[in-house]
Amino acid sequence: MNAGNRSGARSLWILAVAAGGFVAALATLPVPDSTAAPGQEVPESRFAVVDVTLFDGEAFRRNQDVWIEDGRVRALGLRLRLPEDLTRVDGRGHTLLPGLIDGHVHTFGGTRGDALRFGVTSVLDQFTDPALLPGAKSARDDIARTGEADLFSAGMLATAPGGHGTQFGMAVEPLTEPASAADWVRARMDEGSDWIKIVSEDGRPYGGEMPSLDGETIGALIAAAHAEGLLAVVHVSTIERALEAVSQGADGLVHVWIDEVIAEEDARRVAEAGVFVVPTLSVIASMFGDSTGLRVLDETDEELVSPMQWGTLGDRSYLRAGTEGEAALENVRRLHDAGVRIVAGTDAPNPGTGAGISMHGELRLLARAGLASDAVLAAATSGAAEAFRIPERGRIAEGYVADLMLVRGDVESDVSRTTDIVTIWKDGYAVARESAATASAPEIAPAPDGPIAVDFEDGIDAVSEDGFGSGWQVTTDAMNGGASTAELAVEGGALVVRGETKAGFPFPWAGAIWFTGPQPMQATDFSGRTTLRFRTRGDGRSYTVMLFGADIAATAPPAVPFVAGAEWTEVEIPLESFATADPTIIAGLAFVAQAPLGSFTFELDDVEIR
Amino acid sequence: MTAAGRVHRLRIYALEARYQFLMVLREPAFAIPTLLFPLIFYLFFGVVLGAGSFSAAAPTYMLATYSVFGVMGPSLFGFGAGLAMERDSGVLLLKRTTPMPAAAYLLAKVAMAIAFGAAVILGIFLLGAHGAGVELYRWQWFALAGVVLAGVIPFCALGLAVGAWSRGRAAVAITNLVFLPMAMLSGLWIPITIFPAALQDVANALPAYHQAQLALKIIDMDGGQTTLLHVSVLGVQSLAFLAVAALGFRRAGTGAVSIRPGGTS
Repeated sequence: MNAGNRSGARSLWILAVAAGGFVAALATLPVPDSTAAPGQEVPESRFAVVDVTLFDGEAFRRNQDVWIEDGRVRALGLRLRLPEDLTRVDGRGHTLLPGLIDGHVHTFGGTRGDALRFGVTSVLDQFTDPALLPGAKSARDDIARTGEADLFSAGMLATAPGGHGTQFGMAVEPLTEPASAADWVRARMDEGSDWIKIVSEDGRPYGGEMPSLDGETIGALIAAAHAEGLLAVVHVSTIERALEAVSQGADGLVHVWIDEVIAEEDARRVAEAGVFVVPTLSVIASMFGDSTGLRVLDETDEELVSPMQWGTLGDRSYLRAGTEGEAALENVRRLHDAGVRIVAGTDAPNPGTGAGISMHGELRLLARAGLASDAVLAAATSGAAEAFRIPERGRIAEGYVADLMLVRGDVESDVSRTTDIVTIWKDGYAVARESAATASAPEIAPAPDGPIAVDFEDGIDAVSEDGFGSGWQVTTDAMNGGASTAELAVEGGALVVRGETKAGFPFPWAGAIWFTGPQPMQATDFSGRTTLRFRTRGDGRSYTVMLFGADIAATAPPAVPFVAGAEWTEVEIPLESFATADPTIIAGLAFVAQAPLGSFTFELDDVEIR
Repeated sequence: MTAAGRVHRLRIYALEARYQFLMVLREPAFAIPTLLFPLIFYLFFGVVLGAGSFSAAAPTYMLATYSVFGVMGPSLFGFGAGLAMERDSGVLLLKRTTPMPAAAYLLAKVAMAIAFGAAVILGIFLLGAHGAGVELYRWQWFALAGVVLAGVIPFCALGLAVGAWSRGRAAVAITNLVFLPMAMLSGLWIPITIFPAALQDVANALPAYHQAQLALKIIDMDGGQTTLLHVSVLGVQSLAFLAVAALGFRRAGTGAVSIRPGGTS
């Protein structure tokens, strides 16, 4: 029994010693060296972001290392074995996100550079010039340093003659019958469209009226797209057209409707059909007076904002009264609750939005519609990529393209932190943000001090007394496929504008444009000046002055009306009455007749910016 | 019970554990495979091939999964094969004739599984740390060891169920039939994300998968399911295994632990 006692006690001793030894051994295991915090220089092409909280496209993960090489994510995980010589970015206190994907944009001018400068590394374009597509394809397949977001696009859109989409001045091949759907889709494939965009819109929710494709043609287009293996997405603004598109097999809807809030059972139907929705809350909310987009602008370093972004964000020409913006948010909330995939998209650069920058507002609007931060960010990354079948983007995962955005702070607890960007990487290269404000737009010329005036004593190439400006030209909707006409003459020291506005374009115009800069359509800085003044007389009808700012391609330039009566009268327009962010940046001033259709005559003299 | 009685009882438990430990140590057929196989596997797949395989983070991933593998071995074989063989050889009958409580026998087997498991994971941790440069925060090293060792509960329960229903020699083969496929299908050797979707679904039914996911959670490399899910599945499965084991013993007709040589025949 004594032997047993001793033996039992010895067993307990051995147990204690073994357990102690085990714990001691565990305590000797190596831990990461937290003192080796690297400098925060911006590395390129081969580097690692270490000890960062990352959003991988679906969920947040803490204390992760991400190893980037050859433009792709080579490895990620907790405590990677990284080569000694690898440049490290200290990610502590930061969040690393996949580059954002804007699910609804229109591409022209510098929009892709503007997008990238705000962390939008891929844009899903829902209507642009098909001529852009071949170049965009080779650019996105080439994993190399670039200053522009990757472009994936529907190319030309499918709409009725004179329907939505024909008003922007880009060539559109409209459809009139279901029988032409298959050929139309094949033509888009040949042009390089990545999917098919179809317009189902009669303009009524926005207080207008325009012809729309009929249901049969829309059904035929969807079927034809599917037959070619392409996705078919549909522009809608009413619930009726939305549900019809869903029942016709559409893959996605590229706006949320604003006329009505969806019933729960209908939301479930949309979910069961597997249809995704790109709500474009940015453009809708700004249309109804929401200032989220402008707040993002306020928070942003001015240097980073291009003149075009200023111009389109500040453009209030779509502004109207109504509560439809709230309906749109409620629809998103119900769709999300029902399990419908929401894809973030802005519809930039339409009035009230800016390329790239508005994505940060879109994230906030989605959060306001009730999406949790991981759902918001998934909608802007992996969800967008999956919905539109975009390969190798939208996630931080091994082998994926290294499109990344490093943001200060904890984005999980507050999605609005995405604007606090430290570094953006595109294809593994850091994006130079600081120099980009001027990169995407032609240089803005300074105007000489004092008033700039023309009096037409020297004819139509009138320049100011000190030789500034580059003359007057005819401007009509013919550049957008319209039929209006105008001609200019100088008679008795005044400019005479004669012409006729004709049907052929939804917003007909004709008149004269004054190029105020050293080159035609070169933006010029008239800061310090406050007023546009001119003398006019004419046939008594109402005319419009349109101000073209830095963004000469603005879809709807800010405008102010005036009347040309029988007697010479002086008209004074404060520049600030032009609804744009900075009305002292002027590339041209157009004096035009619009509706009603018909012939017109008016005269101008002593036109002055003072 | 008096204090002296309690001490006496504790001594019985300690002695039984000690003797079982000595017994398996002296039985190389058990000790060598359970101790060395996980270490050799990890050395080869995790340390030598590791960083060049499915991920640069593979040595860290495998550190967790091979540790689970290392604890699963002694748990399954100690209970499954060990119990069946001892029953067949009559050792159990002999033990039942002593005043030792049956629980001492079972707890000794659990203690043995923990001891072997601890030895294996310590070996794997040292190999990973010094051979493959794995670095974890200190809390992670300890939490990983704790979570992996807690795996003896479901695995011993499973072993007990297998041991209760199989004969001595067959038990080794049957345990192997459970052990090796489960290790592979649970992602203990390579991540299950490499498998076809159907095989990945199978993993959800396996205790080793959930045990491995809990371990991987500590190093943020799990598949994203919730801790509650894994713990619940493991709890329910452990109880189910114990129930199956109890049925097996009842069929043998002698209460908690069968004592008849020849087992179920």
